Amino acid sequence: MPRHAIRRPQVGLSRDASARDSSLREASLRERLVARDEQALVELVDLASPWLLGLAQGMLSDQDEAEDVVMEAFRTVWQNVTPATDGPTGLMPYLMRVTRHRAIDRLRRRRRRELTLAQAAPESRSALAPTEPNEAADPGWGVHSQVHEALEALPADQRAAVQLAYFEGFTHSEIAARLGIPLGTVKTRLRLAFGRLRTTLAGLKDWVS
Amino acid sequence: MTAHEWFVEQRADYAIRSLDEGDRATFDAHLPNCPECRAEIDRVEAELAWLPMGLKPVAPRPGFSRRVIQEVLDEPRRPARRWLMPAALAASLLLALGAWLAGRQQSRSLEAELAALQGRTAALEDTLSIMKGAARVLQANVRMGGQQGGLVIFANEDTHRWNVVVHGLPPAPAGERYQFWFITADGMVRGSEVRLDPKGHTMFTTGMPPVGGTVMGAALTLEPGGVSSGPPRGPTLAHLML
Repeated sequence: MPRHAIRRPQVGLSRDASARDSSLREASLRERLVARDEQALVELVDLASPWLLGLAQGMLSDQDEAEDVVMEAFRTVWQNVTPATDGPTGLMPYLMRVTRHRAIDRLRRRRRRELTLAQAAPESRSALAPTEPNEAADPGWGVHSQVHEALEALPADQRAAVQLAYFEGFTHSEIAARLGIPLGTVKTRLRLAFGRLRTTLAGLKDWVS
Repeated sequence: MTAHEWFVEQRADYAIRSLDEGDRATFDAHLPNCPECRAEIDRVEAELAWLPMGLKPVAPRPGFSRRVIQEVLDEPRRPARRWLMPAALAASLLLALGAWLAGRQQSRSLEAELAALQGRTAALEDTLSIMKGAARVLQANVRMGGQQGGLVIFANEDTHRWNVVVHGLPPAPAGERYQFWFITADGMVRGSEVRLDPKGHTMFTTGMPPVGGTVMGAALTLEPGGVSSGPPRGPTLAHLML
């Protein structure tokens, strides 16, 4: 796709149209990143930053640390991006995975260094609280809404376990201690929750690849 | 349960990184020898790839995109310069073999360079617009490690953005870092970490903090390196009141 043809889809596009547009944009951006096109990096930063900052800030509750983590994610992608034929992972999933892993590393270092488990984030940070469309959410709002609905559809105890495990980086044992429930119950809740999420979000799989 | 059934049960938990440290280490050791588990973990990751988008997006702070581009692009260029001479020799040989091909490649390279320069020009124009519109310019001397440096703030009261310049400081001592703070009606609110270039200078653009109420001034402190939240813990190097 020629550079001038890249455009931002409007909020409210159908999921298929939005997904198709995003897929084309990613293919084009990816090819240009592989070719070391610095303008493609500028466009990727513009496109992905709001979502990556939302993820990192939701996990870390610290704006400066979130920016550091997102910076690392962009650096990783810029240095390691490969042609689409080398792997099915899209740019956004790749960036989000790197960002989440870096954020988890920092959360665990922070807990080891500063806090006892009992002190660590005693209140739910409600990272999954409902939100409204805004400029930062374009594009991607359609996916956000579907993921959000899938999380909201989980029973409250399973959703709480997902929040702690996936978005706050707690391990099984830490979640059990924090919620005061047996380890086996934690594992069961997570297994059921992620089983449902995998099924529900499977509709987005084509957009991923 | 067989040994492999245990791994089968833990695959999804491994993929989302919720396994306890010991179990994760056991899985790490197993994975290189088990293509079946590797494939299943890849599948779980792909199916959950969009789950991070359950969190709401956050608009970047002013200047963030510019910093990302600069830092990401500067990183690989430094080692690349060490290869400049051999690369130039190789390029000369290649030119001798096929000038027309090199010409095409050079054209593409110049095009990419031009696009990057246009992006940087836009960022500089943004910075200059803040400085030109600054209703207040505040300055404080900073003495650190026997050196005389300074903190300068260009405050644009129309856009509520500041350009902050820190200059003439030595590198932060080992295990410590320079930290910028807003002095607000509710107390000190953490701003950006101040990262100096090799000459001891830096400049960054910042918006007003989302918490803390009215901004009354700013401060520069020296903080313990591992601490990135909470109130100031280190010495104040400079403070400015609006």
